[in-house]
Amino acid sequence: MKRALKKYRAPYLFILPFFILFFVFQLVPTIWTFYISLTNWKGLGTPEFCGFDNYRTLFVDNMFWDSFRNTVIYWISGFVFIILLAILIAVLLNSEKLKGKVFYKTVTFLPYVCASIAVGLIFRMLFDERSGLINEFLASLGQKRIGWLTDMSFSKVPVIILYVWRNTPWYTMIIFSGLLNISRDYYEAATVDGAGVWKQFWFITLPSLKNILFFCSITLTVDSWKMFNESYILPGPGTSNMSLFQYMYQSGFSIFKMGYASAIGVILIIILGMISFVQFSVRKKQMAL
Amino acid sequence: MNYKAKNRASSVLLQFILILISVVCLFPLVWMCLIALKPAEESLSGFHSILVLHPTVANFKRLFEMIPLAQNTFNSVFSAVIGTVTSLFFCALAGFAFAKYDFPGRNFLFYFVIATMLIPPEVGSVPLFIIMKNINLINSLWSLIIPRIATAVGIFYMSQYICDVPDEIMEAARIDGCRDFEMFIKIILPIIKPALASWAAITLIARWNDFFWPLLFLRKQSKYTLMVTISLLPVSEGLSTPWPVILAGTTIVIVPIIILYLLLQTMQESGIMAGAVKG
Repeated sequence: MKRALKKYRAPYLFILPFFILFFVFQLVPTIWTFYISLTNWKGLGTPEFCGFDNYRTLFVDNMFWDSFRNTVIYWISGFVFIILLAILIAVLLNSEKLKGKVFYKTVTFLPYVCASIAVGLIFRMLFDERSGLINEFLASLGQKRIGWLTDMSFSKVPVIILYVWRNTPWYTMIIFSGLLNISRDYYEAATVDGAGVWKQFWFITLPSLKNILFFCSITLTVDSWKMFNESYILPGPGTSNMSLFQYMYQSGFSIFKMGYASAIGVILIIILGMISFVQFSVRKKQMAL
Repeated sequence: MNYKAKNRASSVLLQFILILISVVCLFPLVWMCLIALKPAEESLSGFHSILVLHPTVANFKRLFEMIPLAQNTFNSVFSAVIGTVTSLFFCALAGFAFAKYDFPGRNFLFYFVIATMLIPPEVGSVPLFIIMKNINLINSLWSLIIPRIATAVGIFYMSQYICDVPDEIMEAARIDGCRDFEMFIKIILPIIKPALASWAAITLIARWNDFFWPLLFLRKQSKYTLMVTISLLPVSEGLSTPWPVILAGTTIVIVPIIILYLLLQTMQESGIMAGAVKG
């Protein structure tokens, strides 16, 4: 043990910074969150142990369930739209016939470069009920004006659009780099065998992207469950479009119910743990087949 | 002939879809720039908002009077640049160790690093706030830099890239008497410059756009980053900040980073950073 440490001192030292930072700023806070969630701490004074009271309150808290439902909607809709759009754009960009590839690649990546907070402010104006461009457009088509950010049933739409608009380019780039790795020979052979574009996509492109799509689904899931910026900058009425993580922030840092906020944090940890577990076991099964 | 016509049709369709997507990508940005240049008297509602008859920089001037813009910009630049540089260095260092040393527990530790990505640090933000308070980093820009000096995804990216560096180069350097850290500085870093450049661009964008952490840790206006200041613009004059002024603010946030990105992109295309994006 000692000899190994001496012999491999350099690599251990090189990876040490990560583990120290992980310990102090991620592992300790995560475990500590479990503890605080069992207290009624208000940010000041000594925390008092109160068992599972916070969780009991959570389960009958409508705001919690609202934001929970919203987050599930964000997760699923974001997932579907982003992955489909990213695959579509990546495949189009990879097409041999395309002229001006560099231009399109650059332009379609631009949304990712822009801060979601800044774009959210632009969206607030675009989606304004009375003077927004979107409603003006709808009105010119003879449609009714929609209270995008004032109507309970619509307020999630701008948030989803913002989330998809800004995040698709990132996944497009990852999928595009995966497409570059697929040899053109496969497609040529398939064309010779008379397979059409759809068949080629279904039997060559998609299977080759399996690993990349798995990576995308994991990161996209983690990312959407901690969604904050998009719903924070596009507030709807009440909790109609609040995300779970945003509710946690509000409980902890606006009304200083630290114990309560930590309980939401624990719920998030459990959910993410469960989803990852399912994703990895599905992946394992796929690999075994 | 039929085949040719079909081919041309699909080519036109391809071009058309991509133009449509490009318009969707660009429209909010172009529109923002237009509004930011609009004088207060011109109408903002509906289709009128697209017309700018008398462009002006008055909105930007107003913005400078309202908020400590220079200070906030400095905060953003400082935390983004220092954060990127330190993160590049330590991620490359750890990536180097994982890629080129066969030490006991390497695979386990590597998977451990990857696994840490599954639970985001945000879920522990309550205790994290307490930790930052105890080490006196609340209202300090270092609170944005220190926790992310070495990130899992950065280490993963770097190790993938460094794996491809041929072992012979390292052997030769070792025979010449190069020690481990020296090897990293003198041999590895110069070779992986392209990877460093593209990872730098991505990190820089992410740090500049960072919102949640600055919102949590910085609680004074003089310490805010641009992103936090901008997010507060709609309420900073009692809900009556004119829209052109707000969009002037978002322009200041968005346009510089786009220009930076385009510059990096042209450098990449012209081969200065050849091979920056590993296939």
